[in-house]
Amino acid sequence: MDVASPFSLSLWAILLLSLLGLPIGHAMIAASIIYLLLAGQDMGIAAEQLLNGLYNSWVLLAVPLFLLSAELMNIGSMSDRLLRFCNALVGRFRGGLGHVNVVQSIIFAGMSGSAIADVAGTGKVIIDMMSRGGRYTRSYAAAITAATAVIGPIIPPSIPMVLYALVADTSIGYLFLGGVIPGLLMGLSQMAINSWMAHRLDFPVEKPIPLREIPAITLEALPALLMPVILLGGIYGGVMTPTEAAAVAAAYAFLVSALFYRSITLRQTYDALLSSARSTASIGMLIAGALVFNYVITVENIPESVRTILTGFELTKPVFWLLVNVILLILGCLLEGSTILLVIVPIFVPTAKALGIDLVHFGVVVVFNTMIGLITPPYGLLLFIVAKISDAPLRHVIRDTLPFTAAMIVALAIVTTFPETVLWLPRLLGYQG
Amino acid sequence: MNSSWTQVGAWLQRRAENIAVVMLATMFLAFIIQIAFRYVFNLPVGWPSELSVIAWVWGVLWGAAFVVREQDEIRFDIIYSLVSDRMRRAFAIVTGLALVAIYSISLPAVTDYVMFMKVERSAYLRIRFDWLFAIYVLFAAAMIVRYIWLTWRAIRGDAPTAPDLTTTRAD
Repeated sequence: MDVASPFSLSLWAILLLSLLGLPIGHAMIAASIIYLLLAGQDMGIAAEQLLNGLYNSWVLLAVPLFLLSAELMNIGSMSDRLLRFCNALVGRFRGGLGHVNVVQSIIFAGMSGSAIADVAGTGKVIIDMMSRGGRYTRSYAAAITAATAVIGPIIPPSIPMVLYALVADTSIGYLFLGGVIPGLLMGLSQMAINSWMAHRLDFPVEKPIPLREIPAITLEALPALLMPVILLGGIYGGVMTPTEAAAVAAAYAFLVSALFYRSITLRQTYDALLSSARSTASIGMLIAGALVFNYVITVENIPESVRTILTGFELTKPVFWLLVNVILLILGCLLEGSTILLVIVPIFVPTAKALGIDLVHFGVVVVFNTMIGLITPPYGLLLFIVAKISDAPLRHVIRDTLPFTAAMIVALAIVTTFPETVLWLPRLLGYQG
Repeated sequence: MNSSWTQVGAWLQRRAENIAVVMLATMFLAFIIQIAFRYVFNLPVGWPSELSVIAWVWGVLWGAAFVVREQDEIRFDIIYSLVSDRMRRAFAIVTGLALVAIYSISLPAVTDYVMFMKVERSAYLRIRFDWLFAIYVLFAAAMIVRYIWLTWRAIRGDAPTAPDLTTTRAD
């Protein structure tokens, strides 16, 4: 590649501007404008791509709506009641609160599309519960909370899968379904690690919740437990699209909190809207930047060139899978998941297609992979968040997440090697692939 | 900084937030209306979905221009958060000047594009697209002003705050 070509200069501009701390969305827009200028094209194309891209990508509306529904679930006491229910269910075993943490995250994953929302919702409560009276170290409590939150975007609904569906032009419905078994697998692997740690470090057994209290606790949590049923039933019963399901989720969370639990004020509703509007704008700018830069990538035919180069090496499927997984895991240590999904993953999609890899399988694997990046240092958003809310030193939290990270990488290898783990459920519901 | 100016700034900031909240609420309610019309009244209508898309486009660009705080921005923060305040000031000056220059150079061309879109109207609400897309011009102009301000602050000696790595994002 010519080092002074408009394309390579714009690539340098992205790298330089984002390394120096310019928001990544703006770095991509600015670099695209540089490209248009140097290539002698109309710079108005930047606005055209950005505006039409946002205006015509109907599926993207799921992103703000899922952000809003997570905010509403967390300010109403939905998340807390769910936690109490999980405690009644699995709290009685050795290392019980660790298992509670996993089960709570699995159910929460069926209601929300974001890992950060899970930690923001119940992270503090459960870390305090676990570390009260020194039963678990604060760093272990923080570590398992971060690790289990990763299940959030794997089990549907999932914001990162919406982003993948956008760049790879795949069905969101089937992607969502494909995430169910890998998400459960991730949860199981975490429960295994927790059991192992519980025996090794002799974690306490909680006093079991008396059986006669369980019906009342279940009833309290029922509206929260019904949410995944409504969402997934609605989507796969053909009643609503995933985007509509996001709106229904937000409406449901609001109604349950306002009418059933009576635990939400007007002020809180405003704050939930404002906080979602902020997150929407910052992720929206990243998406906007990716839409504009995608024009440059397309004009320069980059994904095809990558495909030609990679297939020129007579690349086999297993080698390609290994390559993609290793590259994404490394990038996950340095970059945010949505950036990887919007900017890096599209480059690999044509090659995956050419090698005969199913794009739903590919999507679930890359989302699974990039979400592991949420807990891999040095840049793991969840690590920073749990370290902050638990007051445990970051390096201790990192040390305690390592067994979980290892287990997740094993689970990733299983999901990569056996496409059935992803595709069995979508095929059962009519996916032709 | 004069304190009455700070007050005016804070007041404007809150109004900008009010508008962002209205946009998100509009998007959400329009969606609910659409679903209700289709399933409850069995009467599919198109305008609510158009309204929610418009609220989405405006919400993103309005929010990015006036509501997103520096610590909310998605950036590559590893290096940015490790360097000294002095270094971060230098970074802010370089990126600020670059952004101001690039967005300014492209401003006439993007304005032309937006004006050109007056030839089309939206499908249901029949709104002229130059009006719908004008938000981009506002966004670009606001970004230029914002980065002139950030650059000026960095030159004067206020280091940008180290990023807070725990603000909510969408992953």
